[in-house]
Amino acid sequence: MVHALQETQRLLTFNGCLIDIQPLIEAPLIEVYQGNSIVLVEPDPSYDYEEDLRQAEAALTQVIQRGLFGIEARSEFDFLTHGSSAPELRALWEKTGADGNSPEEDPTEQSINEVYRRVEEIRQAAGQGAEVALHERARVIRLAPNFRKEELT
Amino acid sequence: MTIRVDPENNETRALLDMADFSGQRVLEIGCGNGRLTWRYAGKAELVTAIDPKAEAITRARETLPSELKGRVEFRHIAFEDFCASSEPSSFDSVIFSWSF
Repeated sequence: MVHALQETQRLLTFNGCLIDIQPLIEAPLIEVYQGNSIVLVEPDPSYDYEEDLRQAEAALTQVIQRGLFGIEARSEFDFLTHGSSAPELRALWEKTGADGNSPEEDPTEQSINEVYRRVEEIRQAAGQGAEVALHERARVIRLAPNFRKEELT
Repeated sequence: MTIRVDPENNETRALLDMADFSGQRVLEIGCGNGRLTWRYAGKAELVTAIDPKAEAITRARETLPSELKGRVEFRHIAFEDFCASSEPSSFDSVIFSWSF
């Protein structure tokens, strides 16, 4: 990741910028909605990339400390993925984060599927039109590259 | 299937509050199926969007809005390989899009 950020600096013009969008280091929430009311909020049991996020943040901190980039601005936002059912959301998650394990063989997958089954029961009990959403909190940072004098001549 | 990703446009607002892509050459790393690309590419001069997942890039190319043709290039390539074949100072902005 540090190398990737170094390479990014090389690709940028001297007055360019790097925009980094990443989820915050916290589990996303599964939420069930009925209209504007939230019926259920539960941490997503399939959250398993905390260490990856920590490493990415550490790499960013490292290149900032080394003076390759400086932070110009930072903000946070809510990122929601809505689905008409929990299995639908689960299928999307499996597609984007597939690790090759068979759900039947992986006890963690079985436990995740169990939570999603329960969420779906609650959604159905909430009545017609109830929806489910995966709610992630994310941040966006704008970084400016710092170049040494010899790189600008 | 009725998946809706960020219908509130919170991500787009946060991104466009952070940078003005008008007339810029933009590199997006980890573009996936182009979900975010469509939302800012209209402002840029040229967007190069890369992702190592072939299926995602195929989908992005298939769904590229006609008004963005000629302005957005999707490439199925790993970032390391892309860097190795790219000249310095090629881009005004680089976006890391959920690509830790």
